[in-house]
Amino acid sequence: MDEKRNNYKAWFYLAPVLILMGIFTFFPILNTVYVSFLKDYNVSTGVHKGFTFYNYAYILGLAERYEGSGVYNTTFFSFSGPSAFWNTMFITFVTVPISVIIALLIALAIHNIKALKKFFQTVFFMPYVTNVIAIGMVFAVIFANGGVFNTIFHLNIPWINPVYATWGSCMTVLCIYIIWTALPYKILIFLSGLQNIDQQYFDAARVDGASKGKASRRIIIPLLSPQILYISVTSFITAFKEYSSIIGLLNRSYSSTAVASSNDLYTIVYYIYDMMQGTNWTTSSQFASAAAVILLLVILGFTIVELRISKRLVVY
Amino acid sequence: MEINLVKLTKSFKNVKGKEVSETIAVNNMDLTIASGELIGLLGPSGCGKSTTLYLISGLKAPTSGSIYFNDENITDLAPEKRGIGLVFQNYALYPHLTVYQNVQFPLDNLKVKENEKDLILESEAKRREILSSRGLLPLIQNEKRKEDYTLTSLLRAIAEKFETSIYMAKEIISIDPDGENGLERIKEAIKRSEEKSKLETDKLAMKGLTVNESYEILRNGSPREIERSLTKPEKDARIRAVSKLVQIENLLNRKPSELSGGQQQRVAIARALVKRPSVLLLDEPLSNLDARLRIQTREEIRRIQQETGITTIFVTHDQEEAMSICDQIVVMEKGFVRQVGHPQEVYRNPNCLFVAKFLGTPPINVFYGEIKEGGLFIGEEKIMNVPPTIPYQKVMVGIRPEGFLMAEEAEGKEKVLTLECTNVLTQGRDLQLYCTSPYSEEGTIKLIVDSDIEAKTGTIKFALRKNKIYVFDSVSGERIEI
Repeated sequence: MDEKRNNYKAWFYLAPVLILMGIFTFFPILNTVYVSFLKDYNVSTGVHKGFTFYNYAYILGLAERYEGSGVYNTTFFSFSGPSAFWNTMFITFVTVPISVIIALLIALAIHNIKALKKFFQTVFFMPYVTNVIAIGMVFAVIFANGGVFNTIFHLNIPWINPVYATWGSCMTVLCIYIIWTALPYKILIFLSGLQNIDQQYFDAARVDGASKGKASRRIIIPLLSPQILYISVTSFITAFKEYSSIIGLLNRSYSSTAVASSNDLYTIVYYIYDMMQGTNWTTSSQFASAAAVILLLVILGFTIVELRISKRLVVY
Repeated sequence: MEINLVKLTKSFKNVKGKEVSETIAVNNMDLTIASGELIGLLGPSGCGKSTTLYLISGLKAPTSGSIYFNDENITDLAPEKRGIGLVFQNYALYPHLTVYQNVQFPLDNLKVKENEKDLILESEAKRREILSSRGLLPLIQNEKRKEDYTLTSLLRAIAEKFETSIYMAKEIISIDPDGENGLERIKEAIKRSEEKSKLETDKLAMKGLTVNESYEILRNGSPREIERSLTKPEKDARIRAVSKLVQIENLLNRKPSELSGGQQQRVAIARALVKRPSVLLLDEPLSNLDARLRIQTREEIRRIQQETGITTIFVTHDQEEAMSICDQIVVMEKGFVRQVGHPQEVYRNPNCLFVAKFLGTPPINVFYGEIKEGGLFIGEEKIMNVPPTIPYQKVMVGIRPEGFLMAEEAEGKEKVLTLECTNVLTQGRDLQLYCTSPYSEEGTIKLIVDSDIEAKTGTIKFALRKNKIYVFDSVSGERIEI
C-alpha cells in the first residue's frame, strides 16, 4: 500500500520532465521514423501518399527523383565523388583518433610537469569556452589566401577560398579545426583521470625501473582506459554529427547551401538541415527524416562495436 | 646489505596563503641496520616511519643527511638503481595485468651485470642434464597419473624439478620421452644437442674464444662483465622460483581483482623480490588484512625473509606485529628515533615514557608519583625504596599490567598500592581488572592477574613486582634509573 502511494508520488515528481521529454524528445524521434516512410509528404499540408521505402532508396542514390528523369541523388551517398555520408566518415575516422592521441599526449605532459601546470591547463582549456563561430572566423583568417599560415610557410594555397579551394584543401583545414576545438574537453577528462590514478602506481612503476615512456605506455594508459573509452564513444558520436564547424569555417555568404555544395563539404547533419530548411523544404522533409534514421543506425552500430571491443581492453 | 642512515632529515613546506610553515617528518635520524635483519619501524601515525621508508627507497629525496648501502653513498641515486624491492600499503598491483605479468614487469626493465656467457652452450648443457636424468621419466609418468593432470601442470612440474624455464620443459616434452621408443628419441635428442654445442664451440673457436666450466666466454683467459637484459626463459625461471617462494604458483594466470587481500599481498611481495633486491621495504604491509590473515601473513613475511636472508625494513603502527617478527625495532615519535633494540629488550627496558606507553597490550599504567625520604611514593603509599642520593622530585611512575600481585601475595608486605577495582573481566587464561586511582594519569588502570585468583570489585591492596616499575622524569619523560 505504502509502496504504491510512493510510486504515484515518484511519477508525480517526474511528470514535468517526462512531459517535456515526451513532447521534445520521444515524440520527435518516433515522428522522424514515421515521416521517413511516408511517400511525397508535404510538411505544411500534412498530405502524403501512404507508406514507402522510396525515401531511403532516393537518398542512397538507388531511385530517381522523378520517374524517368534519370536524375539520381548523389549529395548524400555516392561512390563517384564526395558525398555527405563519406565526408562524415572521413571526418570521423581522421579527427577522432588524432585528437584522442594528441589530447592524451598533452594530458600526460601537463600531468608530468610541475611548474606552470595551472597555466597550461588554462591555455589548453581556452578553446572550450570560446564560441565555435568565433574560432571559425579566426581560422578563416589564418587560412585565407594572404593569411598567417601561407605567410609563415611561404605558400600560396587557396585553402578555403570560395572559388579556388579544392575538396582536399577545405577538408584539411576543416579537420585541423575540428581536432583543435575537440582537444580541450578531452584533455580535461584525461587530466582528471590521471589525477585519480593512485600515486602508488606511478611510484611502483618507478621502483620497477620503468622509464617515463614505458610506465605511461604499459601502466598509466591502461589505467586510463575507462576515460579513453568514454572519450572515444562520445567523440565518435560528436564527429558523426559534425555540422556547425563547417558553417563556422566556411560560411561567408549566409546562404548555407552554397557553402557546402561549392566545395562538396556536405556532412550527414548538414544534408538533413538542408533538406529541412532548403528551398524545397515543404516537400523534402521525408528525405531529411530518412537521413536522420540512417545516421542514428550508423551511430548505434559504431557504439555497439566500440563497447564490444572495450570489453576486452578496458580495466575498471 | 648493511644500511646506514646519517643525520637524515626530511622536512615539508606547507604553503597556506602567505603563511609558510615547515613540518619536519624525519629529524636528524641516525640508524644502522645490520645485513640480513628484519627491522620494524614502529610508531604512531605521523611519526615519520613511512617517510623514512620512502627516503630509503629513493622515492622521496631527503632535505639533508645521507643514506649508505654498505659503504656506498646512495643518497642521490634513482630508486630503480638502488636495488630495492618495495611493497606498497595498497599493494599497487597493476589491475590490467595478470599476476604473472605483474611479477614480470620489473624484470622487463631489469639489466643484469654478469660475466658474458654463451647462452646456447648453457641451455644445451641443461637440456642434456635433464634428458639424461634418471628422475625425468618417473616424474612424467607420475604427473600423468594424477587426477588433475594437464599439460601445463606437467610442464610446471618439470620446470620446477629441474630449476629451468617452462620453455625448456616444453621442448623436452615435445620429443615425447615417455612414449613408445622414447628412450631412443632421448638418445637422439642428446646427440643433436651435443652436435649443436660442438657447432657453437667451433664458432667461438673461430673467433679465438673459449669458455670455462660455467660457460663464461673467456677473452684472453678472463671473462668479461657485460650488462644485458634477461632472456625470456630466464625471466620465466625467476618468476616461477619467486612464485614458489611466496606460494602463488596457482594464481599466475589470474587478474589481481580475482585475488583475496592476502593473495594480493603475496603477489606484491613476489613482484618486489623477483628483481633479487638487496633490500626489501614493506610499507604497512598488513594494514589491509583481517585479523587472522594478519597473523598468518606476518609469519609468512618472516619465513620469506629468513629463506632469502634479505635485509628487510617493515613499517607498522601495530606494536604487536613488530614485536612478534622483528629482529630489531625502531620506535619513532614526531620524526625522532626514541629507542632501537631487540623487541623484548625494548619492552623490558624502555628509555622514555613514550616508548613504555607505546609497547605492550594492555598499555602500561602511569601514575603521578614523588621521590622523597628514600622512597618512591604514589600518594601516601611507598611502593619502592630509592637510594637517598636521588633528590626530591615529582615523577611519572609506569607499572606494567602484569606487575601487580593480588591480596594473598600482598599480605604482610608493607609496600603496597591500594586501588579501587571497578570491573573484573575473565579472559580465560588470566583476569583483567579495571581499577581507578586518584593518582592515575589515564583514569582507568588495566591490570592482569592469574585467573586462579578470585577477584572481586572493591578496594584491593596490590603488591608490585619491582622489575615492572619504571620511573620517568615528569617533564621530559626520560627514564630515571633507580
